[in-house]
Amino acid sequence: MNPQIRTIAELDRVIHEPGRLMIVALLFAVERSDFLYLQHETGMNKGTLSSHLSRLEDSGYIEIAKTYRGKVPQTLVRLTAAGRKAFEEYRRRLKGAL
Amino acid sequence: MDRLGNLLHRPRAYCNIDGVGELGIGFICLAYALLQWLQVHSPRNSMWNQMYTLFIYVGVMCAITHYGTKAIKNRFTYPRTGFVSYRKRDTVWIPLIVGCATGALVSAGLVMASRSHWNMTTPTALIGLVFAAAYAYGIARTARWKWAVVWVMAFGSVVIAFLPPDVLGSLARGSWVTHLFPANFVGAFLLCMALYGSLLLVSGAISFWLYLRATPIPSKDPE
Repeated sequence: MNPQIRTIAELDRVIHEPGRLMIVALLFAVERSDFLYLQHETGMNKGTLSSHLSRLEDSGYIEIAKTYRGKVPQTLVRLTAAGRKAFEEYRRRLKGAL
Repeated sequence: MDRLGNLLHRPRAYCNIDGVGELGIGFICLAYALLQWLQVHSPRNSMWNQMYTLFIYVGVMCAITHYGTKAIKNRFTYPRTGFVSYRKRDTVWIPLIVGCATGALVSAGLVMASRSHWNMTTPTALIGLVFAAAYAYGIARTARWKWAVVWVMAFGSVVIAFLPPDVLGSLARGSWVTHLFPANFVGAFLLCMALYGSLLLVSGAISFWLYLRATPIPSKDPE
């Protein structure tokens, strides 16, 4: 197989999905953010965003914490060390393939 | 890859999505111009020219900016478009180098200013253009209308730089400060600070109004 094609085939499927890629890229640049911020920036509806976050949490790429801001419930999301490393690796491979 | 790069820069731009950053810098510039005005137009041994006043004034100014920004974010921004906490810097070298370079530039400016035979036109225009370029790079890229602020800032600085020395000097004439710095330098500094402060306050207020108009508080369904 052509090495470039192989590099593309070896890209992390969890991150490569466009919706999840947006989420991981946004979280990569910050310490943590809440659900509303991710929804505002990605333009996804709550259901779609929730399912992407669950998938990323299952892969160990993000941590989700349910807290309160005053009396309002708040869902805080942060990228784990594994998620950060996976995203850096994904960018490196993608750059190499293009 | 470019789109990915843009995405990585979005959280930084989010910091000023509501114009609060501009309001904060504008407030600091105007407050500093007011302090300079009071120092210039008070006797040398007055309260305004004491070192402790400077520390208290700057402390109060920073506290108002810090807690004011926090309050606006908590009250208006986070309920509308979400909360973000930023990562701490990995290195202190870059801010340290930028700080040292700025300090060296300011010192050079003061040395130049203390030589009263020197013309202040070039330094004033240059500092104004650097300020406008910093605003363009840091803030104006996010909204097209803010380029008008960049042009007004740059043009205003050049106009101030080319004002006759007598006009600039009239702002500090008779002050004890003129024994240390030429009056036209003090006048140019006061006018520049007032211009940048006013422009940033107006631009921040417009940004804030546009933000509130464009983003209603979303319904509180479970996430």
